[in-house]
Amino acid sequence: MTGVRQTIAGRRIAVCVGSGGVGKTTVAAALALDRALQGGRALVCTIDPARRLANALGLSALGNVESRVPEHKFAEAGLQPRGELHAMMLDVKRTWDDLVARNAPDPARRERILRNRLYQQMSSALAGSQEYMAMEKLYELATDRDYDLIVLDTPPTAHALDFLEAPDRILDFLGNETARTLLAPAIGAGKLGFRLAQLGGGYVAKTLARFTGQEALSDLGDFLQSFHGMYEGFKERAAAVRELLSRAEVGFVLVASPSQVAIDEALAFHERLHAESMPIAGIVANRVTPELWPDSAPLPDSVALRAALAAGEPGDGALAERLAATFAEHEALARAERQALQRLFAASAVPRAVVPRLESDVHDLAGLARLAEQLG
Amino acid sequence: MDPRTLLDRRLALVTGKGGVGKSTVSAALALVAARAGKRVLVCEVNASQERVAPLLGAPPAGTVIREARPGISTVNVTPPEAMREYGLMVLKFRTIYEAVFENRLVRYFLRAVPALAELVVLGKILNEVRLEDRGRPRWDLVVVDAPATGHAVQLLRVPSALLDTVPPGPLRRDAEWMQAMLVDPARTALAIVTLPEEMPVNEAIELDQQVRGLLGIHREALFVNAMPESRFSPAEEVRLEALARAADPLGAAARAARLQALRAGQARRYLARARAALDLPTAVLPLLPLATWGPEAVERIAASIARGGEEGRE
Repeated sequence: MTGVRQTIAGRRIAVCVGSGGVGKTTVAAALALDRALQGGRALVCTIDPARRLANALGLSALGNVESRVPEHKFAEAGLQPRGELHAMMLDVKRTWDDLVARNAPDPARRERILRNRLYQQMSSALAGSQEYMAMEKLYELATDRDYDLIVLDTPPTAHALDFLEAPDRILDFLGNETARTLLAPAIGAGKLGFRLAQLGGGYVAKTLARFTGQEALSDLGDFLQSFHGMYEGFKERAAAVRELLSRAEVGFVLVASPSQVAIDEALAFHERLHAESMPIAGIVANRVTPELWPDSAPLPDSVALRAALAAGEPGDGALAERLAATFAEHEALARAERQALQRLFAASAVPRAVVPRLESDVHDLAGLARLAEQLG
Repeated sequence: MDPRTLLDRRLALVTGKGGVGKSTVSAALALVAARAGKRVLVCEVNASQERVAPLLGAPPAGTVIREARPGISTVNVTPPEAMREYGLMVLKFRTIYEAVFENRLVRYFLRAVPALAELVVLGKILNEVRLEDRGRPRWDLVVVDAPATGHAVQLLRVPSALLDTVPPGPLRRDAEWMQAMLVDPARTALAIVTLPEEMPVNEAIELDQQVRGLLGIHREALFVNAMPESRFSPAEEVRLEALARAADPLGAAARAARLQALRAGQARRYLARARAALDLPTAVLPLLPLATWGPEAVERIAASIARGGEEGRE
């Protein structure tokens, strides 16, 4: 069976998805590094990399700028790339601002939106905003640049599916014609209450205002009004992003650790991607406890280990006890993880890789290269 | 750490990076409090899959408060249900609520108001804290199994954000009492959960800065979860290097021991980093060699919390 890495070798875009804390960023960086080593021009776009990984990739705090990982970083790791590795960190706010600037009909409108309090709140804090902008940035990179491979690391969402739903939800908000037509004409005129009355009699309008306060409605009206006419551009773009994600040149990589939570999320994601006809390139089971002893043979007890120690040092008996207990615990965990992962692998016939829990965090290019090897 | 400092509050907020064990710690805190005779409510926030009730050996509660075991009730607070309850509270009469809020256009419109979902969710939780039956608080303690870091900050920031932006009116009045409760250290305290690993510790440090700077909520405790035991002495660790190359079964057993020792050493370094950076009463909770996570795990974590963590065993 072909491995995850080989499958990605045939794609132009890879999107790593999975719940938080499973090592998505590291897998994403390893896939990009691998392509660079093979002679390609690769970019990894990360969201929130661990500091040492960011350092390894030469990433500074400056967001949204692609930068090439310098030669000396490879030399230090004993690697000779035949291609180039680039890396960047997504800046959600800047991506929003760029999107507004591109779609605004004139500078005045752009300024009005950038200054709006609700816009500022939305672009930095609205749930799903990060996910939406990750997709937006990916589209821009995929259409405006000539990388052989772009690997996108996705935000560590509480609900993995936010990633697919967020753009629709936010667009739903921006294109809320009901709210716009209700609120827009009232701006400046101070006749919000009057306008709202058309919603279903003055009674409904008054109770609604009691609920949110009139000023909140008016703020919202201003915001939606300033987006007026731009919605179509946003919507077209979102449709284009969706179309891009379903192309055969794209591969989603599901990353999971062998915990129940991570496996549940990966399964939910798999189902959703499948339903949306989005191409799944492989599953990476990360941080798996390696099995060191065959299932069929009984585990050695402390007596057997004590005999094998043979050095006759004082304290060998106690050490043998702890060795036996640690070994038994290790193997029990390894077997439980294997069983849990079977549930994930049974769901799909796509290529898979099982990456053992490494002895230390990956924090340099050499570590990433070793990880890439494991992705088969 | 003495868990009473946290559990004697009326509201305990539990947060941290995704996957660090917030639900387990929340369930265990509830267990410790209930055993001290308190009536406890545990709130999950918009959980796609409820975890707390099953961890306590009960079926999921859904959006209606339900007793999971004597002294502990749980609920999943979701925006649509919280919105409905809030609407009913503001409008007093069901028929009025239905006339206004069941209107399709209004529902669509309310979804578009930023932060309203967070406001009603937080409002429902905080309202449970102040509810009284016959002059006595309905709950001695409300534990919130809060969302992961970023979403938790977003949720807890809503009242102060509204106070910054919203002029006098019903929203502002709600924001005022909610904010007063959140920043009152006599009533409310926040606990951060982390793992002794790089990213969770980094995130805990950032979260702590945001809680202090942005939220102003009193931080009371740090839980470092899943801490592996330090089983082998430095001299033994050196010896394991050689033993790992020995013939099996000793070689395999030594390799397993070496992995355990490496993991424990790494965990000790991240624990030290978390302690140095956070300056909070810390409870170290054990890594449990359990494959399935359920009531047994919660019992063991609760026992560890009740004795103030595993400090003595380091």
